Amino acid sequence: MQAKDSNPPDGGYGWVVVVSAFMVMGLTAAVLKTFGLFFVEIQQHFDELASTTSWITSVTIAIFHLGAPVASSLCVRYTHRAVVITGGLLAFSGMALGFFGLNMVWMYATTGFLQGLGISFSWTPAISIVSHYFSKKRALANAVASAGECAFAFTFGPFFQWLISQYGWKGALLIIGGIQLNICVCGMLMRPLASGCLLEARHSRAETPPGSGASRTDEEKSPITHKTFNWMLVRRPEFVLYAVFGILAAMSFFVPPLFLVPLSYSLGIDESWTASLLSILAMVDFAGRLLCGWYANLHITKTVHLLTMTITLISTSLMLLPLANSYLSLAIFTGFYGFFFGTTVAVHITVLADVVGMPDFDSALGLFMLIRSTGGFVGPPLAGLIVDMAGDYRAGFYMAGATLVLSAGLLVTLDQFQQRKERGRQTNAKPEKSALPYPSLHLLKLQ
Amino acid sequence: LLLGIHGLPLAKRISLDRAAEIKLSCRLKSKYSHLKNLQVTWKKGSEIIPHNKTENGWSIQLMISDVSKLGSYSCILKGEEEMRATFYLQPKVEAKEKPIISYRGGMAILICKVSDYAPVAWTWYRTNGSEQIAINDSVLAHKYVINRVFANITHLKILKLTEEDSGIYLCEAAFKLGKSKGKLQLKVLTYMVPLKPFVAVVAEVVALITIIFLYEIYSKKKE
Repeated sequence: MQAKDSNPPDGGYGWVVVVSAFMVMGLTAAVLKTFGLFFVEIQQHFDELASTTSWITSVTIAIFHLGAPVASSLCVRYTHRAVVITGGLLAFSGMALGFFGLNMVWMYATTGFLQGLGISFSWTPAISIVSHYFSKKRALANAVASAGECAFAFTFGPFFQWLISQYGWKGALLIIGGIQLNICVCGMLMRPLASGCLLEARHSRAETPPGSGASRTDEEKSPITHKTFNWMLVRRPEFVLYAVFGILAAMSFFVPPLFLVPLSYSLGIDESWTASLLSILAMVDFAGRLLCGWYANLHITKTVHLLTMTITLISTSLMLLPLANSYLSLAIFTGFYGFFFGTTVAVHITVLADVVGMPDFDSALGLFMLIRSTGGFVGPPLAGLIVDMAGDYRAGFYMAGATLVLSAGLLVTLDQFQQRKERGRQTNAKPEKSALPYPSLHLLKLQ
Repeated sequence: LLLGIHGLPLAKRISLDRAAEIKLSCRLKSKYSHLKNLQVTWKKGSEIIPHNKTENGWSIQLMISDVSKLGSYSCILKGEEEMRATFYLQPKVEAKEKPIISYRGGMAILICKVSDYAPVAWTWYRTNGSEQIAINDSVLAHKYVINRVFANITHLKILKLTEEDSGIYLCEAAFKLGKSKGKLQLKVLTYMVPLKPFVAVVAEVVALITIIFLYEIYSKKKE
């Protein structure tokens, strides 16, 4: 598998996969982002409290993260395509059943649990398969795919509002569920790479002269172990470092969207101008993702270095943001934050692939999402606490900036560790360039 | 708030949705500025309120903290003729401006709210433009349920919706010094309405999947 993955298409059908992943991002993450429009409707319909209603999204996000490792292990065993199609069906069922709106618990189960599971099963393989299809152009491909979230979120806001005004929230849920069925269409386009360990082993077996019995059983066994979920990842220090980075980053990432609106109101900016701030955020996010993908593709800087730079830039913007005292200054700082946020999102999956390598990438992605989610759960209450203690929303931004500086430190440590490992490997490695008949077998032995 | 006065009695209705500090001022239109010896009084009902003279008018500053401060405030200019303008301060009833959409057989909750001021009583009406019919929830208890959740929030729950329930509903808040109304619109749809676009989208998905599937089989056969 490793040999084949080191020669991925890097173009051609890969771009079809990128477009399909772009659509999946939009139909999952953007729907989740825009779901807030349903809150007031659902809350009033069931005559519940706002906090009880907001649990729906909490369930969705929790299941999304918990489902990620499950999704990635299913990808390894079945194909990405199958898991995405399953995800599409689950997400559709969540929304369509939500249409019946029997009671609040029903909503938790449908628009919460089923939708979260569906999003998880669609998003994780979509992100992963893009990395499988590319190697040199991976950064650009990942960036373009992730931009789907911004593009769709931008249009879904007004679109969902229109749907709710025409069909009521129930009818809107039904129609959105139908639209999410298109995830299955995108899944159909995600052709599994014709490689895969078993196929390769079969090729090598056909060419091996009969009689090399021991080596043959060897190459039959190792591909199979590659196919299961790799828990050994937690033993690898690079992965652990990157996972802790993920936790810290997740802790700080939700703060700006959460506190930007109240901060804006406290500066005396009214509703429509505040809404425009969020639009600015979405637009620069989109631009940041694409630009970062293009830049990373030039291979001028190592992706880890690029990520460290973007994280540092975000934390600088966040530390400066509290200095804003008018709409213009707030808009400028929000623009910087949004842009660098986009660049970070665009490149962080590529860095994961570079850190763990392609064979373990699927498992790594799932595990990374799971570990990262703890940051996402701890963050909001912690930030709320800090804001309450300080009595000012600006404290939240300082906390987010500080957490990001810490996470950048981890990235630097990770990079140092990798560089040291590289130097060690270069002095120890035997020349690999000799013409080996079965390169795949040799590389498997080295691992 | 400025008001130009000329011969006829003028009135302005102001709806307040929360306790506020208000400045009411009366200003004379420029063509009357030649009038001298004008005696100006501000009154709330029959009670005289001290006012301030500004450059081109007369104003009073009020802190409307509770319902008793609402009512009608007039500025009266006595010269050769008497000119009067009245501000009616009323509490604003908050109700959703966009229509509420529900489905046949289901239920809908219509909510009206008054901030800061608690009404004495709430009454719900159904209107079709010209006439208003009060909704009696004791007579039609299987259909309507009126709930006063808090003193300043009222819920009208309509059960077993049919298309005839579509229309405009009014919630009236009665205060010691008057009444205020809020307007809500209810639309009842059948399940067919969202089902049509839904079926269209599902058909599109099935069509695309079939096309992709057939194309893949076709290209595999080519190999």
